[in-house]
Amino acid sequence: MTYKFDKLRVLVVEDNTPMLEICKALLLTFGVGEVISAKNGEVGYDLFCKENPDLVIADWMMSPMDGISLTRRIRNDMRSPNQFVPIILMTGFSEKKRVVQARDSGVTEFLVKPFTARDLYKRVTQIIERPRQFVKSEDFFGPDRRRKADMSYNGPYKRETDAAQAAAQKVRMKTASAQLSQLRQQAGLSKGDRITEDKLKSKTEPMNSSDIDFN
Amino acid sequence: MTNSGDNNDHFNMKPRRKAEFHTPPNRIKSKVGTGGLADDILNKAEALLENNTVDFRPLGELYLESITRGVDVVRDLPGSETSDEYHISNILFPAMQLKANGGMFHYNLVTSIADRMIQFLEVIEVLDHDALEIVKAFQTTIRAILLGQIRGDGGARGQELLDALNAACYRYLEKYPENRSKPV
Repeated sequence: MTYKFDKLRVLVVEDNTPMLEICKALLLTFGVGEVISAKNGEVGYDLFCKENPDLVIADWMMSPMDGISLTRRIRNDMRSPNQFVPIILMTGFSEKKRVVQARDSGVTEFLVKPFTARDLYKRVTQIIERPRQFVKSEDFFGPDRRRKADMSYNGPYKRETDAAQAAAQKVRMKTASAQLSQLRQQAGLSKGDRITEDKLKSKTEPMNSSDIDFN
Repeated sequence: MTNSGDNNDHFNMKPRRKAEFHTPPNRIKSKVGTGGLADDILNKAEALLENNTVDFRPLGELYLESITRGVDVVRDLPGSETSDEYHISNILFPAMQLKANGGMFHYNLVTSIADRMIQFLEVIEVLDHDALEIVKAFQTTIRAILLGQIRGDGGARGQELLDALNAACYRYLEKYPENRSKPV
């Protein structure tokens, strides 16, 4: 059994004619049934709305509308016939900040140029075999940006960038816990006992058993 | 017991952005089935790339011209320098096109050199006179490669050119360490 790409319809949006021709030829060699093409994001979006393809492959740098803006429109525009369509963004950029920029626009896969036929094929198989769930938040709609998520962890500070906050919180919790133990010790209480508010204020004074609220 | 008061402990922290998750139907999978593509199809596709006869030089020249225009604009600015992303991108974007397309059309050395140029432009905060000179050196080298029709990686001579340009970038960053941008 092998993939049958003959029922697939792919939209390629690329302003560089030789590159567009190469992409089309590669996809047709893979056996893709129909390749639709456009030379910029604006025309590409109109075609996308009209044809509703299964996959979009777009270049980043195009005028008047680039691949990032095209992606945002596909994901967020009311006219979009399929906001979940997989989008592969092709670009020469490979620097982290550019990849993050593309990811945050709602791109599904990132394909760095120059690429080989197998590179393109790998991105397509990734989309077929490892589809990503979509996330809708206040300021983002697109494929889940977490690639290495630890699904078993359900607490706060899940993001990688939260490391400093998480460490600070750990220290605060440790200090608070030590202070609480000290208070208990001074008051002669054990862990399960509840104390009234006014006794908290005079924590240095010895407490009587009547000070403990058992309710 | 005291807290830091910054409302950051997990028991009293503000609710973070709420997110909804959707799992759309895998339309492509339902159309293509399973099993992947046979190796002979992939080899045929690779051969198609290797045997393409597109002449990259006219396209490459267009990108080099764009870089020249970008450099000229910066040279005409007060102090002949800029930290404006718009001006830098006028040079960076055609450099990116050279990197992206050179290798697709057999000019791998153009890709390697343009890649270094991008790294340099991405790492500096201010595009000043000396940085512009380095940009010009990159541009002149790429033009020479296109004129000489040096395809592939250029062999030992190609590596020498790359090393020389690299060394120029290092010298610049050693001379102006304050002009190196902070990593993302």
